Amino acid sequence: MDLTNQIILVVSLVLFASILASVVTSRFGVPLLLVFLFIGMLLGEEGPGGIQFDDVQVAHLFGSLALAIILFDGGLVTPFRNFRVGLKPAVGLATVGVLITTGITGLFAAWWLDLHWMEGLLLGAIVGSTDAAAVFSLLRSQGLELKQRVGATLEIESGSNDPMAIFLTIVLMELIISGSNDVGLVLLLEFVRQMGLGALFGILGGLGLVRLINRLEMSPGLYPLAVMAGGLCIFGITSVLQGSGFLAIYLAGLVVGNRPLQSSQYIKRFHDGIARLSQIGMFLMLGLLVTPSELLPVALNALIFAAVLTLIARPIAVWLCLLPFRFPWREQVFVGWVGLRGAVPIILALFPLLAGMDQASMYFNIVFFVVLVSLLIQGWTVAYSARRLGLEVPPTSHQVQRVELDIPGQRELELVGYRLAKDTPVVVERRDMFRLPRSARVVAVLRGKHLVDTLDLADLKPDDYLYLIADPADLAELDRLFVASAAPERLSDQVFFGEFVLNGEARVGDLAAAYALDLPASDHPLTLDAFIRLHLHTAHPVVGDRLQLKTVDLVVRKIEGDRILKVGLKLKRGG
Amino acid sequence: MLSPDLINEARIGRGLEISSKKRLLETLAELLAKDHPRLSTENVFERLLERERLGSTGLGHGVALPHARIKEVSQVLGAFVQTTRGVDYDAADDEPVDLAFALLVPETATEEHLQLLAYLASRFSEPATRARLREATSPTAILDLLKAT
Repeated sequence: MDLTNQIILVVSLVLFASILASVVTSRFGVPLLLVFLFIGMLLGEEGPGGIQFDDVQVAHLFGSLALAIILFDGGLVTPFRNFRVGLKPAVGLATVGVLITTGITGLFAAWWLDLHWMEGLLLGAIVGSTDAAAVFSLLRSQGLELKQRVGATLEIESGSNDPMAIFLTIVLMELIISGSNDVGLVLLLEFVRQMGLGALFGILGGLGLVRLINRLEMSPGLYPLAVMAGGLCIFGITSVLQGSGFLAIYLAGLVVGNRPLQSSQYIKRFHDGIARLSQIGMFLMLGLLVTPSELLPVALNALIFAAVLTLIARPIAVWLCLLPFRFPWREQVFVGWVGLRGAVPIILALFPLLAGMDQASMYFNIVFFVVLVSLLIQGWTVAYSARRLGLEVPPTSHQVQRVELDIPGQRELELVGYRLAKDTPVVVERRDMFRLPRSARVVAVLRGKHLVDTLDLADLKPDDYLYLIADPADLAELDRLFVASAAPERLSDQVFFGEFVLNGEARVGDLAAAYALDLPASDHPLTLDAFIRLHLHTAHPVVGDRLQLKTVDLVVRKIEGDRILKVGLKLKRGG
Repeated sequence: MLSPDLINEARIGRGLEISSKKRLLETLAELLAKDHPRLSTENVFERLLERERLGSTGLGHGVALPHARIKEVSQVLGAFVQTTRGVDYDAADDEPVDLAFALLVPETATEEHLQLLAYLASRFSEPATRARLREATSPTAILDLLKAT
C-alpha cells in the first residue's frame, strides 16, 4: 500500500513538472518533446531517478495507444478547408515521399553499416515518417502563423505518413523474418489491404460515430469520453482485421472534427488535453526506456545517418513529390527542412525488438539518436527558418476567451470575451464610429467587479472585460477592434500586404494605367485574380502569395475557395 | 517631405458635413480644381472614382488616400478633408473614413507618385498623427501637422 502511494506521488510529480516545463520552454523555443525525453532519461536507470524500465511490450502498448490518440486529435483539429491546398501534395509526400526517403536512407544505411539491403531499408522505413505536430505546437506557442499551403501540407502529411511508415516497417520485418524474396507482390497486396481497410473503416466509422453521438442524450462530460472510446474502437477493429488502425483513427478524427457534432467544443478541448498527456507520457516513457550510455557507441553512425536523412533524402523526396504542384522554392525548402522526426520512429524501432531480431537494439539506439538530433536541430530552427524564408502571414486568430453556444437548430454562435488593454484599438482611438460586425451583439461589460449599465463602445476603458455574441465568421473583425496587435512590425497589415487593397476582379490594364506599370499588353485584359494565378503558376493561391513587379508587389490578401477576392498593393520604397 | 506647393490652406477642408463616399470625393475634387487653370471638378472626380474601382483607397483606421495620375497637372497637387462624421468608404477594415488626403500627380511622375503615396500612407499609419489631425480645429493647424515630419 505504501508503494502504491509512493508511485502515485512520483508519477504525479513528474507529470506536474513536465507540464510546468512546457510553460518555461515555450518562451525559449526549445522543442518541448525534447525536454520530456530528457526528463525521462534523467529518471531512468542511468540518471538520478534510477528507475529500471526495459519492458518493450508495455512500452509498445502504451506507445501505440498514445500515438493513436495523438493522431485522432490531429484529425479532429484539421479543418477540411486546409485540404484545398494541402491534400494532394500531402498525400504524395505521405506515400511516394516516404518510399523515396526510405529508399535513399535505407540503401545508404545498408552500404554504410554493412547490412543486408532489406535490413537497411527497414531502418529507412522506421525513420520514414515526420512529426509535424511538434512543429506546429512550437510555431503556435510563439504566435507565428504559416502560409496556408505550407502549413496545411505539413500538417496533413504528418498525420497521414505514419500509417505508411508503420506499414513499410511491418512488411519489411515480415519479409526479413520469413526470408521471402517475393518483395513486390507481397508489398502491393499488403499495401492495398492495410490502406484500404484503414480508409474504409476510418471514414465509415467516423460517420457512424458522429451519428451515434448526435443521437445520444447524456451528461455533457461523457461526450468526449464516448468519442475517444469510439475512436479507439475504430483503431482496434481495423488493426485486428489487419488494416492500418493508425490511418483509420486519423481519418475518423477528420470526419468527426469536420461534421456538425453536439458538444464539439468540449470534445475538442478534452482531446487537446488528452493528446498532450499522451505526448508527455510517451516521451517520458521512451526516455526511460533508452539506456543513454548505449547511445554513445552509435553516435557517429547515427549522426551521419541523420545528415543523409535530413540533407539528402528528405529534400529529394520533397522536391520530387512537389514537382507537379509547383510550390515556390522557399516553400519547398521549408517543407524539406521541416521533416522533423518524433515519437513514431522510436515506437517503430520497438517492433524489431519485440520480434527479437538480431540487430534490433542497434536499430533502436540509432533511431533514438536520429530523433534526438532532429528534434534538437530542426525543432530549434523551425521558427527562424520560417521567418527567414518569409513564410509567415499576419496572425488572424488571437487567443481570446471563446465559448461556442450550443443552441439546437440555430446557426452557430460564439460567446467571446475580451480583456481590453491600454493599447487596444477601441481604447486608444476613442472614436464613436467603431461599428460592430452585423452579427455581433454586446452582452456585457464588466468594470472592476461590476456590470456596467451602458453598452456604449465609445465608453470603454482599459481593463474592462467585454463580452459579445457573434458569428464565428466575424471573429477576425472583432479581434481587430478589441485585441491590441501583438504582431511584430514586419507582420502588420500595412507592412505585409501593402498600402492599398485592390479587388480581385479589377483589370490588369486599369492597374497598369493607374500606376504606370510596365506590363505586357497581353496581360491587360486579365483580372488581377487570373493574372496572379497565371504568373505564380498555381491554381490554389493562398493568403500571403506575392507577385513581385518592378515597382510594386501584389500580395494575395483574401481568398474564397480558389478565387482571389482582395489583393494588397505594396509600393516598393526607395526605388 | 511634402513640398510647399503640394498643399495649402485653401485646399484643406475642416469639420465638413459629408455623408457619402461620392460627396467626399466630389469635395476633394472641388478643392483640387478650385484654383487650377486646367482642372475641372468633374474631370478630377472622374479620375479619382476610376481609381476607386480598382479597390478602395481607404487605408484603414478611418483614413483614405484617393489618388490619380492626370495629364492636366504639371506638379503633384494635394487636398485634405476632415469630416465631422465618418463616411462609409468601403475600406479594408470597414471603418468609416473621416480623414481623406487626395493626391493628383502628373502622368510623367511615376516614381515620385509611388514614393509620395508610400510616405503618406506610413504617416497616416501612426495613431498619434491621426489623433492630432482629428483634434485639429483649423485648416492652419492641419496644414502644420501635414507638413511636420
